[in-house]
Amino acid sequence: MNQIPTRTYRTLARRALQAAALITILASVGGCAHTAPSTTLYERLGGENGIESIVERFLYRVADDPELVGFFANTNIDHLAGSLANQFCAVSNGPCRYEGPPMERAHQNMGITDAHFNQLVEHLDAALREENIALGARNEFLGRLAPMHADVMRYQ
Amino acid sequence: MFRFTATPFIARTLCRLAGIACVGLVVASSGAQAGSRIMSTGGVSAIEGAAGGGLSPWAVLSSTASDEELGATAFASRAWLDDYRLTVGGASLNVYDQVELSYARQRVELQTLGGELEQDIFGAKVRLFGDVLYHPLGIWSAGVLHKRLVDGATPTALGADHTEGTDAYLSASKLLFAAAAGRNVMLNATLRNTEANQGGLLGFGGDQGGREWVAEASVGVFLTPHWIVGTEYRQKPDNLSVGREEDWQSLYSAYFFSKHVSLTAAWLDLGDIAGLASQRGSYLSLQAAF
Repeated sequence: MNQIPTRTYRTLARRALQAAALITILASVGGCAHTAPSTTLYERLGGENGIESIVERFLYRVADDPELVGFFANTNIDHLAGSLANQFCAVSNGPCRYEGPPMERAHQNMGITDAHFNQLVEHLDAALREENIALGARNEFLGRLAPMHADVMRYQ
Repeated sequence: MFRFTATPFIARTLCRLAGIACVGLVVASSGAQAGSRIMSTGGVSAIEGAAGGGLSPWAVLSSTASDEELGATAFASRAWLDDYRLTVGGASLNVYDQVELSYARQRVELQTLGGELEQDIFGAKVRLFGDVLYHPLGIWSAGVLHKRLVDGATPTALGADHTEGTDAYLSASKLLFAAAAGRNVMLNATLRNTEANQGGLLGFGGDQGGREWVAEASVGVFLTPHWIVGTEYRQKPDNLSVGREEDWQSLYSAYFFSKHVSLTAAWLDLGDIAGLASQRGSYLSLQAAF
């Protein structure tokens, strides 16, 4: 007797659930299309000055990390800062071309582990947050750097 | 009668949840080292103990242990359905982000039918290749879940062939950066070979069929780096003629307070279970990792 209302209810609930899921996906994709900023990622990172500040905060954090600072013992930090800023600018569609060494060669035989790499990512994300970079720009920037993991790890 | 059985049960569950929370707080406050992997890349604990969503194992390995670290998690979960209550407690170990070993104890209280069913689930998951964040193809893992009913009398009476069984699965997970309105999107797909009825709580195999491949998938959006909302879908076999078995689905929200503590809430639709129609309800899961 009560099969019909139960079934109907269940079907409705299930459809509602699937529809909600679909709407979530569509809304996010649609939202993406609508809110896609016309500015470049470079601008959203604060342009030349913004990127310089990010690099500075990032390197200060790395210098304070006893597990990472050793990798930079023989590094000219000013040169590294310039090279990083240049790379961040290029990666974020800024008016630069990265002219440093390829990632795999720059990190060759340094004994870098995934743990080191992850720590570095956390320092960079923290630097971005401290510079008040919006979440969307942070995600996009980290997403563009993420594939470099393979190159950095190639000759460890 | 219901009240008498439910009260100590709730008390035990609360104690267990509180215990997990305490472990998390102690670990967090003692400054115990978290793994170096980025927060939330270990997912939460699925009801079968493996790292995943709530219903389905994912390819990521539990905790935030990286290639030279060990990680451990403990969790307690509870689902309140129309005619059943499921309680799960368990733990997992991540060895160098290559192997995950897990254990879960599931107990379902049959509030309408009376009685309870329990099973132990021993899990092992091996990372095949990749990385959920850094690899273009994400992370791929293969795993097994060996399940043993504590008392198989009821499932056997319902027509199940066995009281223990093993699921095998292949899973892939990938985080898409800034994929939806600047937010990161988590995708997971799992293929599982199983003969488990209702996850194993109603035994393994039956008069209508046995081992088969089923698909599971989930998609979630990280609204913030701490908070993901999404949905999960899990196909199910349908081996017992006494009660139709249906696919499971959920809408979930998981909050990562830190690398150490996460709380997941979900709305479940588990379909018909053992002849009782359309089991829906809520789900809470607390996880501590270190």
